[in-house]
Amino acid sequence: MASARPMMQPLRHCSRGLLAQAQPTHAARARFLSSNPSLSALRVNQAGELAATLIYTAQTPPVVAREPHLRPLMQHMYDQEAGHLATFNDLIAKHRVRPTALYPLWSVLATGLGWTTAVMGREAAMACTEAVETEIGGHYNAQIRQLLEMVTEWEAEGYDVGDEFRDLITTLRRIRDEELEHLDHAVEHDAQKAQPHWLLTGVIRAGCRGAIWVSERV
Amino acid sequence: MHPPTVSCSAGAAATRRLLLRPLRPAILPSSRLTPAPPSRSLSSTTCRPITSSPSPFNNKNNNRPTSLHRPQQKQQQQQQQPLRTYHSHTHPAPPGPFTPAEAHLLSAAYLHVPAHGFTPEALALGARDIGLLDISPAVLPDGGAFALIRWHLYFQRTCLAGKVHDIFAGEGEGGAPRTVGERVEALAWARLRGNEGVVGRWQEALAIMAQPSYVPASLKELAQLADEILYLAGDVSVDPSWYTKRASLSTIYAAAELFQTTDTSPGFRETRAFLRRRLDEAARAGGAVRAVGEWVGFNASAAVNVLRSKGVRI
Repeated sequence: MASARPMMQPLRHCSRGLLAQAQPTHAARARFLSSNPSLSALRVNQAGELAATLIYTAQTPPVVAREPHLRPLMQHMYDQEAGHLATFNDLIAKHRVRPTALYPLWSVLATGLGWTTAVMGREAAMACTEAVETEIGGHYNAQIRQLLEMVTEWEAEGYDVGDEFRDLITTLRRIRDEELEHLDHAVEHDAQKAQPHWLLTGVIRAGCRGAIWVSERV
Repeated sequence: MHPPTVSCSAGAAATRRLLLRPLRPAILPSSRLTPAPPSRSLSSTTCRPITSSPSPFNNKNNNRPTSLHRPQQKQQQQQQQPLRTYHSHTHPAPPGPFTPAEAHLLSAAYLHVPAHGFTPEALALGARDIGLLDISPAVLPDGGAFALIRWHLYFQRTCLAGKVHDIFAGEGEGGAPRTVGERVEALAWARLRGNEGVVGRWQEALAIMAQPSYVPASLKELAQLADEILYLAGDVSVDPSWYTKRASLSTIYAAAELFQTTDTSPGFRETRAFLRRRLDEAARAGGAVRAVGEWVGFNASAAVNVLRSKGVRI
């Protein structure tokens, strides 16, 4: 993993410079400093994708044991989530963002959530996916909207936005679309028939929002 | 010789304003400012120029410390080493803890540290060198001793990025470091070498840093140093080991620095050996923890799979 980084890349100031892509001016620096929350957004994304991979890992054996025809779907969703996690792992290493301090806690909670809902049955497992992906989709949408606003503002002021920044937005869009695809799969596979659906999704969505709030901070 | 001082402590802010008003035109000229040539004792601790700008004032986005080299030398070195691409003006560093005025004063005073220690005398001499009044160190909080120490920490830390090419090319002793662990050791050693010029004064500095009001800033500098070393070494861990690696490296570095202050061996050979032993111990401890974790994880998943094979629905 370590040797994968080419040594002669601009090593140092690609760091933390994600939002300082525009021409260096006092204004740009001020903006860079004030938009550090966007770097913490990468931390939240990584924590979220970590949780998603663990949820699917924990759900797959009990769900597949009962309904073997769901194996390809679970595998497909897991593979996509693992790809997202790898993407964000690279991004936070590249931009020197601290990973969340509650990493072990999120791991335990996500595995517990995935396993519990899977043991409750296919419908509950799918309701869990539905709730999680709804929150995550909204979270990514808010992030993309924020980044697009920054791009518009920079372009209006005549700064060069830079490929790195545009690539980030493209990546986030692709990931958001894949998450929403999981949401569709979950609804197709009777997520809404889980009993009691409102309680299950309500609790899980509140949990997701709380985890996002905490991960932005620690 | 001594300018009139303001005795009222409540007027410190006003003093700063008063001082800065006449200082600004004097220290922010449009012409190039060349820092004083390095004193002999500090020249071994100076680092290569890492930006193309001759002073922090001409580079609004980057108040990295001024290099102690002259601009002509910088240009020569950059022509010799066109591959040094670690620094880019499109990716400014986060600003350091110093204003340009403070940085200018501290970089001048830093040259007097080997002779006078991290003291107000060094600051006054530095101020005189760059044509300021002896009282100008009053712009620094708390008399400036800690600011001078912090300047040393900040300056040496930011120097590492400029030295990294030479270190990884194997120009230091011991050949080119290959693994992340070897690179961490090489970088930590390079940072300890940065203390050589001030090592006789470093115990005093450690005592000042240990004062309660300075502990948070000192620990922050230590954490930033550990982060910098691991980043430059190419460590890309993004799990809880991010924290454990930084914590253990900080501890080891602080211990090695303390060892260095009493080390009289030529070239700080003993310090290097100490550093290597501590890092090896940390690596062994980390390996043991990992092995136990793997064993527990393997057995847990094996137990779950046995239950599943018996038909238990979990």
